[in-house]
Amino acid sequence: MSIKKITAVALLLSTTSAIATDSPITGSVQPKCSVYTETQGVYGNPLPNKLDTLPASGGTKASIRYDIAQANFYLARITHPNSFSSSPTLNDSVAWTGSSVVGQVSVAGMSAYEAAKVVSPSNVTTFNMTLAGSTWFTVSSTALYGYNKALPAGNYTAIIKADCIAK
Amino acid sequence: MTPTYPVLDSSYINGVVVAKMKLFNRRNDVEYYQIEVFTKDWKPVKFATTTRLLKVGYNKNKLFNVYIRFVDVKRTKYICTTSKVFKGGNQETLVSSMICSKIK
Repeated sequence: MSIKKITAVALLLSTTSAIATDSPITGSVQPKCSVYTETQGVYGNPLPNKLDTLPASGGTKASIRYDIAQANFYLARITHPNSFSSSPTLNDSVAWTGSSVVGQVSVAGMSAYEAAKVVSPSNVTTFNMTLAGSTWFTVSSTALYGYNKALPAGNYTAIIKADCIAK
Repeated sequence: MTPTYPVLDSSYINGVVVAKMKLFNRRNDVEYYQIEVFTKDWKPVKFATTTRLLKVGYNKNKLFNVYIRFVDVKRTKYICTTSKVFKGGNQETLVSSMICSKIK
C-alpha cells in the first residue's frame, strides 16, 4: 500500500473516532405507566350471525390493567375493535359495537374516571389518569354479521388497542 | 414497559437528532414491539433506528436510539412502542398496547 493510501485511511479513522466520542446521548427513563392484559377477551357465539364477549352470550370480557406510578401524567386510550384481525372470508358487512368501562380500582377516587371519560370517535375511549395506582378497564365487543346471515365457520380474532400517552 | 420523556439532542450525523430510549417488557404475552414516531396529530414522522421491530423478553430491558431529521424536530411529539400480538387461534380479542413518550 502506498504512503498516500495509508495516510488517507489513517485520517479517515481518526475523523470517525473523533465523531464517535462526541456522540451525545440524553433522555431520562421514567417508568410511570405500564399496561397488562389481565383477562383475554373471548367471543361467544350466541346467534349464528353474532359474536359477543358478554358472559350471557358465552363470551368473556377483556380486562386490561393500567399501573400509573405518577398522578396526572398520562391518558389511557382504549380502542375496542371495529374489524377482525383474522377471520374467514366475509362477503357482507359487520356491525360493531363495544365499550370500555372502569372496573376494579386501587384508589377509590379512580371511580370518577368513568364519568369523566371521553368517547370519540365511537370506538375510542379516553380516560384521564389523574391518580397514581392501578385501574382495571373492562372492554366488551360485539359483532353482528350482515342481515341475519350466519357467520362462516372458522376462527375470529379482533384486536383491542390499549394506549398510554404522556400528557 | 417504561415510557420516557426523551430530550432530543444533536447526533454524530449532521442535521439529525437522537433520543435514547429504554424499553422494559412487563407483558409475559408479548415478545415484539414496534417503534413509531408521531406528530401531535398522530401523523407519522420519518425516523431511523437500528430495527423498528424489537424483540424483548419478559421482564427484560432493551436500549434503542431514535434518529430524527432536524427539519422534523418541531413537529415531532410522540415516540411510541406498540406491542405486536400473534395471530389468535380461537374466537378471541387480543390486546395491543402502545406506550407513548412525549417530547416536551
